[in-house]
Amino acid sequence: MKFVTVLVACLFLLAGAAAALQKLPWQSSDTPGGGAGQQLVHFLYPQQVTVQAGVPQTVEMHFRIANGLHINSHTPRQKSLIRTELIVAEPTGVKIATVDFPDGTDFAFPADPSQKLSIYSGEFVLKMHVSAQRGDHLIQGALRYQACDMTTCFPPRNAPVAVDVIAH
Amino acid sequence: MRRNILVLSAIVVALALMLAAGVMNFAQRRRAQQASVQAMKMELVPDNGQPGTSTDAAPGSDPDTGMDIPANDMTTPLNGRHAPNFTLEDLHGQKVSLASFKGHPLVVDFWATWCGPCKIEIPWFEKLHDQYSSQGLEIIGVSADDLDKGDPAKLFTDKRDISDFSTKMGMNYPVLIDGQSVEDQWGGLDALPTTFFIDRNGKIVASTVGLAPRNQIEADIKKAIGSGAS
Repeated sequence: MKFVTVLVACLFLLAGAAAALQKLPWQSSDTPGGGAGQQLVHFLYPQQVTVQAGVPQTVEMHFRIANGLHINSHTPRQKSLIRTELIVAEPTGVKIATVDFPDGTDFAFPADPSQKLSIYSGEFVLKMHVSAQRGDHLIQGALRYQACDMTTCFPPRNAPVAVDVIAH
Repeated sequence: MRRNILVLSAIVVALALMLAAGVMNFAQRRRAQQASVQAMKMELVPDNGQPGTSTDAAPGSDPDTGMDIPANDMTTPLNGRHAPNFTLEDLHGQKVSLASFKGHPLVVDFWATWCGPCKIEIPWFEKLHDQYSSQGLEIIGVSADDLDKGDPAKLFTDKRDISDFSTKMGMNYPVLIDGQSVEDQWGGLDALPTTFFIDRNGKIVASTVGLAPRNQIEADIKKAIGSGAS
């Protein structure tokens, strides 16, 4: 009996030590300058909205871009630039009519003031026009973006987005 | 009774370790975030035709071009190492191996069509290529643009877009595609442009991550030409 108790205690200790060493899945490495998986844009809110069933509603989705960075707007001025897009799957019982993107702000790299870009920086809001049938629906998707700072650009990434729509 | 105390102690120790792990993780992430902010402590400037503030511009003002290049501390882990070999396709579908440039001072510039700072740097490389080609300098531009290899029609479009871009930019040096396939061996290429300066023996003598001032690029080219010369 005593042996079993000691064994259990050892297992607890091992589990604790493992927890101390382990990096949890959502704790990605925050490499300065942008590691491969590091998000530079985050979906802020809402996580949940309550709407009237069958009635078109607007859900305002708030995002924040990391300090010192910018991303192209939904309508960049050059064909080669990657525009910001919202990619969402319509769950059964939800109809997403359109998504309104804000206008971009004019910006130019200090090293090339003649090239005007259309960008978002800081916080921005997308307006998603939805209608939902009665029930609880989870809209999941991602914001596709490509970020730069004043001298450097980071590869395109997808920031996860999830909104729980409760329709009464 | 003793058994209960023992089990209780074990639970307390395990909980304490888990708590410590959480605190350590939090502190680690916070330090990393602070480092990240420190690394890119630059503010966006309004588009008013006044490039950069004096404090931002001072570390990297370019005397040759008059352009303001903010300071950038990012670096690659490959400095001083032998350049990893690769074989990639050029815009005409020909396989090009890095090893075939051995004996030449070489610039390998990873760029992408969506990268604004890369567009600023490319014309500099074109001029520097002309300027130093008599000393054996070769420049390779490696596109890190996504290639949709699973869809032949999309792949064709992807390649055509890179080709159109390089034509529009007047790139007078070889352009290779599918740089993403070699990014791990070249230090991850988390940011573009990333440029490596390689001497005649294949050793990386300098590298830059992000847009560097033109005079720094030229100095690194001279280093590549001078180093390893017999």
